[in-house]
Amino acid sequence: MRKYAVVVLFVALCGLKIPVALAQDTTLTIRAIEGLKYDVPRFVVRPGTRVHLTLDNYDDMAHNLVVTLPNSRLRVVNTSLALGDQAVKLNYVPRTPDVVAHTATVDPGKSEKISFVLSQDGIYSYVCTYPGHGFVMYGVIYVTRRPATVPPLDKDPNVAANRKDDMAGHAGHMPDHPYDLKYPAVYRTFMPDSGPASIAVGLTPKQAYCWDAGSCRLRYAWTGGFIDQSDHWDGNGKKPTHVVGDVYFRDQGGFSIRFGTADRLPEVHFKGYKLINRYPEFRYTVNGIEVRELIKPLPTGRGLVRHFSLGAVSGPVYFACKSGDGVKYRPSVGKIQDGMVRLPVGTRNFTITMTAE
Amino acid sequence: MKTTTTSLIGTRMTRIGRIKRILIYLFLSVLSVSSAFPSKNFPADTITDYYEVETIQMPKGLTAETDGLAIMPDGRIVAGFHRGEIMMYNPKTKTWKLFAEGIHDPLGIMAVSNSEILVMQRPELTRIKDTNGDGVADEYLTVTDDFGLSGNYHEFAFGPVKDKQGNLFIALNCASNGAGIFPEVRGKLDTLGRPGRMYSAVPYRGWIMKLTPDGKLHPYASGFRSPNSIGFDANGNLFASDNQGDWLGTSKLYHVQEGKHYGHPASLLWKEGFPHITPIKLPVKMLDSLRTVESVAFPHSRIADSPTQPVLDNTGGRFGPFVGKMLVGEMNHPYLVRLMLETVDGHIQGACAPFLVGSGLRKGNNRLAFAADGSLWIGQTDHGWAGDRGIQHVRWKGKVPLELADMKLTPTGFALTFTQPLDAVTAKQVANFQFKRYYYEYHEAYGSKQFDVQPVAVSNAELSADGKTVTLKLSELKAGYIYELELGKLRSTTQQSLLNHLVCYTLNRLQRNTQANP
Repeated sequence: MRKYAVVVLFVALCGLKIPVALAQDTTLTIRAIEGLKYDVPRFVVRPGTRVHLTLDNYDDMAHNLVVTLPNSRLRVVNTSLALGDQAVKLNYVPRTPDVVAHTATVDPGKSEKISFVLSQDGIYSYVCTYPGHGFVMYGVIYVTRRPATVPPLDKDPNVAANRKDDMAGHAGHMPDHPYDLKYPAVYRTFMPDSGPASIAVGLTPKQAYCWDAGSCRLRYAWTGGFIDQSDHWDGNGKKPTHVVGDVYFRDQGGFSIRFGTADRLPEVHFKGYKLINRYPEFRYTVNGIEVRELIKPLPTGRGLVRHFSLGAVSGPVYFACKSGDGVKYRPSVGKIQDGMVRLPVGTRNFTITMTAE
Repeated sequence: MKTTTTSLIGTRMTRIGRIKRILIYLFLSVLSVSSAFPSKNFPADTITDYYEVETIQMPKGLTAETDGLAIMPDGRIVAGFHRGEIMMYNPKTKTWKLFAEGIHDPLGIMAVSNSEILVMQRPELTRIKDTNGDGVADEYLTVTDDFGLSGNYHEFAFGPVKDKQGNLFIALNCASNGAGIFPEVRGKLDTLGRPGRMYSAVPYRGWIMKLTPDGKLHPYASGFRSPNSIGFDANGNLFASDNQGDWLGTSKLYHVQEGKHYGHPASLLWKEGFPHITPIKLPVKMLDSLRTVESVAFPHSRIADSPTQPVLDNTGGRFGPFVGKMLVGEMNHPYLVRLMLETVDGHIQGACAPFLVGSGLRKGNNRLAFAADGSLWIGQTDHGWAGDRGIQHVRWKGKVPLELADMKLTPTGFALTFTQPLDAVTAKQVANFQFKRYYYEYHEAYGSKQFDVQPVAVSNAELSADGKTVTLKLSELKAGYIYELELGKLRSTTQQSLLNHLVCYTLNRLQRNTQANP
């Protein structure tokens, strides 16, 4: 069989893959991706084209790909659900004339290539008939000589709903919650450039910080917005949350509080937080001594005021505030020397004011 | 698509409501005959004659991927959702109220008091409390975070459940090679734990942990892949369900005991005294010898693709005839799974069967909780996989359906006990009991086909004097196989028809006095 070099045009705006018009053979790869989706929502071929299709499973569960005749996708899916004990052996594919071609069950990380010819004009489907997948995981093949007649992606009734959402942008006009978010706002989420047990706090809609509950410390702060969690909320949560705005402070020095000596990092444990007028007051222990930390925005300008309360400490207490992390430090007590404040003995409450440079 | 489904269900529910009213009149008129379906010409009964499913109206604007769900002492339903909301539903007023915000996947909730809950979220087990009585939580205190977190999306955390001694148990999911880990992790990173489809690169992924009342978290049992979730039976035995995948030929339910290993090798890296190697590099035979097998295997696509929380029917009979037994949720099918367990040769094993098929229950049945009135609340999610979203509420309507109530192994076959006395003619026909047996292989590849599938002939069916128990003699009984039974068109003497026909018994062990060829 002769093979033609195939150029695949990707029309980004409408998400349409149109193989070159004169080709009698066409080759494409469709990935099964997380969230019960094929990465290609639809494609167009001319009648009589031989399609060499590879299903590449990028997901963490098994999938197949079944090409079905026009108007038969749901029938095939429902028939596949009735296969009973034959299902696994048949790769969840019913033996009916509705099925044009199909792969076997493709395990995560594996791929399989199939070839088939669609000679008649029509709107065909490809669908995963693995149990539970068929009603959401599918795509559409337009077999036509007139690709211009294909509707725009967001108006295409044949494309899977979960693919249309993606193309229409993040959640569109859907609200995040059944209420308007109030500030200060606290989210436990996967934050970039921090430990996996982090807390995003929006002080105002335009001022925010990231606090790491694993290492019990402020990691960075930004202005201009809060966070965008739509990627993280989508599917099974693989992607981290995004910071919205400009980061002006990023901690460089590690954990700030030192007991006894200035150079020894203490052992810390996160104990939770209490909301005070919606501001979280973090609680943690440092070498067994309880510390509370409440962070507020500067009344004007970019910066934070960090209020600390300490349990009873014997011996000196230091607070590291190295320069070069984007802010100027001003302690309420003591003086900064070599990037370190030595607190007066017996200090139980103090503030550190951080002003963006 | 979701809207269409909902509206269809809505229509069906209305219709069922109307039929129900008609049925009630009919029942009232025939009560003196004392049988539910007295006429042979009466239309066949269905599950909706016995159970009703109410779909709860969710708050507008909520993405109702229901993570955790529990019942508060005052009867309110508390539910946690994927976007971090924890909300309370008052079933009397049918209103929702926000209790807490910003939780990272609250997959488990336990009520402590009317103002306090424990929540298992990704990073911590957290005590969330309303301290000033305004109905909104203001305190989020860490109960334990003494386990690793790599930043991999699949490191879900499940539980907590509490035993009679006051210990809490939580279950930690393995990471998935569908994604990597964060540059910074919490806990000790061990790169020997990275290879494999589902992996454990920080402690104690793939373990069930025990939190003693002194606040210390102890590794309890290993070998879990995706233990969503855990629960106790009537005797205080802890069970965990686990999901088909690598090293799980099919989904399973384990009886979890301290110190034991249940087969997914990744977690062995964190076992005290275990050699410091990548566990999946050990020979399969050796790994096989280290594991304790499941109490119940759920045949894939036949019974369950993705089983969830086991829950005990402790309603004292207010949820129907299955009191004292456990139910397990299921993600990919619009039903629950009912368990019939027994102890054979000192080990728990038994049968599973679909339950509430055709009742109007949706898919995605992730969390189950019995309320004080004996009704069942079910939280549903898809979380990027198969499933539905929202909450449904199931009530028993008071009449006993014809169902298999219990399945027990005998030295020569099985004894099946039904909820109603059976019509003797059909119950004694061996053709009404079609058995086959097969097993799933323990191996690294994802899932397994069925091996050594063989029909097993029934040579004799005897009906007990009370008509409720059929004792079947099988041509062969072999340990290490699943016995799948397809029941025929059995009827009760009350002219009810058998609702569910499929049951699968996991035969790990034979009775001590079993003969090789009964």
